[in-house]
Amino acid sequence: MTEKARVFSWLSAALALFVLLACTNNPYPETDDGKHVLYASFGEAPKSLDPAVAYDTAAHEITGQVHDTLLEYHYLKRPYTLIPGLATAVPKGEPQADGTVVYSFELRAGAQFQDDPCFALDGDGTRTREISADDVAFEVMRIADPLVNSPVIDPFSNLSGFAEFSARLTRLLKADPGFKKLPARERYQRALPLDGVRVVDATHLELRLKNPYPQILYWFAMPFTTPVPWEAVEYYDGNHGHPHLADHPVASGPFMLSIYDKQSRMLLERNPNWYGAKHPEWRAPGATYPSEGEAEDARAGRLAAAGKALPFLDRVDFRREKEAIPAFTKFLEGYYDTSGIIRESFDKMVKDERLSPEMQALGMRLDKSVTAATYYIGFNMDDPVVGSKGGERSKKLRQAMSLAIDVKEYMRLFMNRRGVPAESVLPPGIFGYDADYRNPYRHVDIAKAKSLLSQAGFDGGIDPKTQKPLHLTFDTPDTSPDGRLRYQFFVNAWRQLGIDVEISATNYNKFQEKVHDGAYQIFMWGWVADYPDAENFMFLLTSDMARTKNDGPNTANFSNPEFDRLFLQMKARGNDAERLELIRKMRAIIEDQCPWIELFHPEDYLLLQEWMKNVKSAGLSVPTLKYQDLDPALRARDRAAWNKPVVWPAYALGALLVLVLAPGVLTFMRERQ
Amino acid sequence: MLAYIVRRAAYSVVVVLGVLFFLFALFFLVTKPDDIARKAIGDKAMPAVIAQWKKNHGYDRPLWPGPGHMKDNMLVEHYRRMLTFDFGRSDADDSVIMDRIERGAGPSLSLTLPEFVLGLTFGIGIALFVAFFRETYIDRSAVVLSVLAMSISSLLYIIGGQYLIGKELRWFPISGFDPSWAVRARFLALPIVVGLFAGIGGSVRFYRTVFIEDIYKDYVRTARAKGAGEIRIMTRHVLPNAMIPILTNVVTEIPFLLMGSLLLEASFGVPGLGSLTVDAINANDFATLRTMVYIGSLFFVVGQILTDISYTIVDPRVRLD
Repeated sequence: MTEKARVFSWLSAALALFVLLACTNNPYPETDDGKHVLYASFGEAPKSLDPAVAYDTAAHEITGQVHDTLLEYHYLKRPYTLIPGLATAVPKGEPQADGTVVYSFELRAGAQFQDDPCFALDGDGTRTREISADDVAFEVMRIADPLVNSPVIDPFSNLSGFAEFSARLTRLLKADPGFKKLPARERYQRALPLDGVRVVDATHLELRLKNPYPQILYWFAMPFTTPVPWEAVEYYDGNHGHPHLADHPVASGPFMLSIYDKQSRMLLERNPNWYGAKHPEWRAPGATYPSEGEAEDARAGRLAAAGKALPFLDRVDFRREKEAIPAFTKFLEGYYDTSGIIRESFDKMVKDERLSPEMQALGMRLDKSVTAATYYIGFNMDDPVVGSKGGERSKKLRQAMSLAIDVKEYMRLFMNRRGVPAESVLPPGIFGYDADYRNPYRHVDIAKAKSLLSQAGFDGGIDPKTQKPLHLTFDTPDTSPDGRLRYQFFVNAWRQLGIDVEISATNYNKFQEKVHDGAYQIFMWGWVADYPDAENFMFLLTSDMARTKNDGPNTANFSNPEFDRLFLQMKARGNDAERLELIRKMRAIIEDQCPWIELFHPEDYLLLQEWMKNVKSAGLSVPTLKYQDLDPALRARDRAAWNKPVVWPAYALGALLVLVLAPGVLTFMRERQ
Repeated sequence: MLAYIVRRAAYSVVVVLGVLFFLFALFFLVTKPDDIARKAIGDKAMPAVIAQWKKNHGYDRPLWPGPGHMKDNMLVEHYRRMLTFDFGRSDADDSVIMDRIERGAGPSLSLTLPEFVLGLTFGIGIALFVAFFRETYIDRSAVVLSVLAMSISSLLYIIGGQYLIGKELRWFPISGFDPSWAVRARFLALPIVVGLFAGIGGSVRFYRTVFIEDIYKDYVRTARAKGAGEIRIMTRHVLPNAMIPILTNVVTEIPFLLMGSLLLEASFGVPGLGSLTVDAINANDFATLRTMVYIGSLFFVVGQILTDISYTIVDPRVRLD
């Protein structure tokens, strides 16, 4: 064989091997078949995994699983209930004589961080250490640190001395350029005191709040307040070949992040150091599958694992899917275990708000959950036409405009009916939500709307000043064609009243500028709960949070002294009858003043494969993977049945090529000879 | 030749500096530093947090040089970083850009290199075959099919390939990537096949024209008169003589193999440098985007110079001066 022939043979063999290896649509190594591995997809990698910074759902999908929090939410109970996590109990606020409130946390003694090289800073081979109250205090100080740039400084400013501590850090940074280069621990030592956070001993932490703010407990059920070892912050500084802490969490949760490739894959594996894994005998609430939940949970088989030690999964393998259609196709092939429903396939998947018979035949299930979120159309209350300066006249205009919006039709057209019409600010699952409450201005009544409009002086929608239809502007940062259709829906509804509303679509920055300058009339917005409490929704309408004056999230710039007074009372109370009454009074003010047209609370539809167990959507961004389980044998059987390759077209194509080319080649060769 | 290369390199510096300027000007014409900050830390972030982010990332300085800030402005910093190859960290997630480029080069090459080699082999092979059967129904059908194939959008090949080969026939995974070679081959097969189909029409038509032009030249008639067989004429005479136009096409592309394929990588979820660029665009990640554009422009000018040099190698009559 000549040299060229040998090279050609090797290349052909390599190509044949490549084709042989490639000819299956299984995206995972066969060695993983039969293992307790959950496969999920992600679109965009989290921006940061630093627990003091990560604030989006994509990041919490990882930080929530790897970071243990002092408190957490009961997996099955609704309304959402706090249970102890790394703490031994949910503390109660103790009011003090000076008006402050103290919360005392007791941490589980003996709980450890995951193994990590950062603990071997002094070279003695140590791979982990016990979690101390100092680690929680350290993380709270990181939130105050301007160099960390945490987005949640505001709620922690309720801690005594927190704002002052943060200001001292800022001053020291400005005064001394070398201060920035000091290790975080040393910087914080120099900026002390921080009265609101006191480490009593290794397992006891005391928080002191300036004023009653019971919602602080919810922040201790989020990764923002997880214990963070100072060693990790020093070691993972992005220098000396070490990754940045934002890419390498060192934590103490049920899973640990063993592969983090933002472009393609994130892999969670069981953390053998987790307190639940090391001490199952503790039967800690956060490490044991719950034995009680809602009535529906028993029917759906979600109580079958009651009392078992967590977690059930060995690994959770997140693969990147940039496009929704290929991800959904892989779910239908059995290569993802759960999935949302893409718009293109919705009608095939869901019939009459239930799973279609075809999907049921494949063993799939549909899990629905209402998100703790409210979407609304807001009026700029500083505007002379639609705002509070217009007094009763403007109020009637807002009420009339609310009565023209058919939100059920909107959800039918644009959301495949996935949502619950909103009657008030509060979504289901939040204390204070009343399923029986009907807002008199949140149903369609064109006759009443026209009558209100006449009373407002806009008879037939005509502006008496111009003798033309009342002209208003609807500002939006959504410039997509789909967005245009959505906004046009509302414009058409108001046209029935004779009002001429113009859509002003600009890019996000321009929109923010308009909002900042107060140069807007109507907008559409949404709020997703940070934690399940009425305070986290009602604060959106308080004067202190007004956008134009204080750059807060009250984009409607609604300001009502009575509402503010009730809010302060409501905020300071735990969930009791008096709080419910306060919420009702606040709701009545919003109903009458109508700064928002409440639209809907979105509903998540989650498709589950036949082999999935113990899945219950949270409706909030909280970790749930430690409770989930699956049956790998059933999965392997279904995958094999669903993915047999169809090979006959390859043979047919080959035969066709030969048939087409052969006569020509033969004729040509004959002629040439 | 050295003088020529030095002259070309000097022109290239002007081109690259111009590219960097236009990138900066166009990017900040439509995007403000606030947009970059909001994309990076989320819409819920308070204005004070956004201001701090801009300060930490150097976006709190004036865009252009002016009185009092001739040196301390974003444009000068932009040039300083690029010209010293200090790419810094991504605006989107603070990761080191050079690390991401190193990680992305492997996946990009594993897609573009086989696609390039196979595309070239099949393109030239089929074109030779078609030129061999010139003026027969094989030639005419091939030209019609090539024009048809060229006229179809690449997106249609991608969607069609994913639907037919991935979803219906279930030969390969519809998208994705895995670092282990055994599984990686499965993921790469479909984008390579799709890439081949998308590019083969243009290649065949171009190379066929080049070969047919040469077939009617005198040296081919001489070879035929001396008794050389048709296959020998095509492979030993026509192919080497057609190398100049082939090289023009090919050498320019070689540096870009490393840069990956924007469309294929983004559509098939291959975590290469094309994907990185698309992500940077979507995330308003100016730091990563300018690095990719800068490297792309460097590769482009290097490709141009290499092409010129390669002429002298394949055709001794060509002189660069």
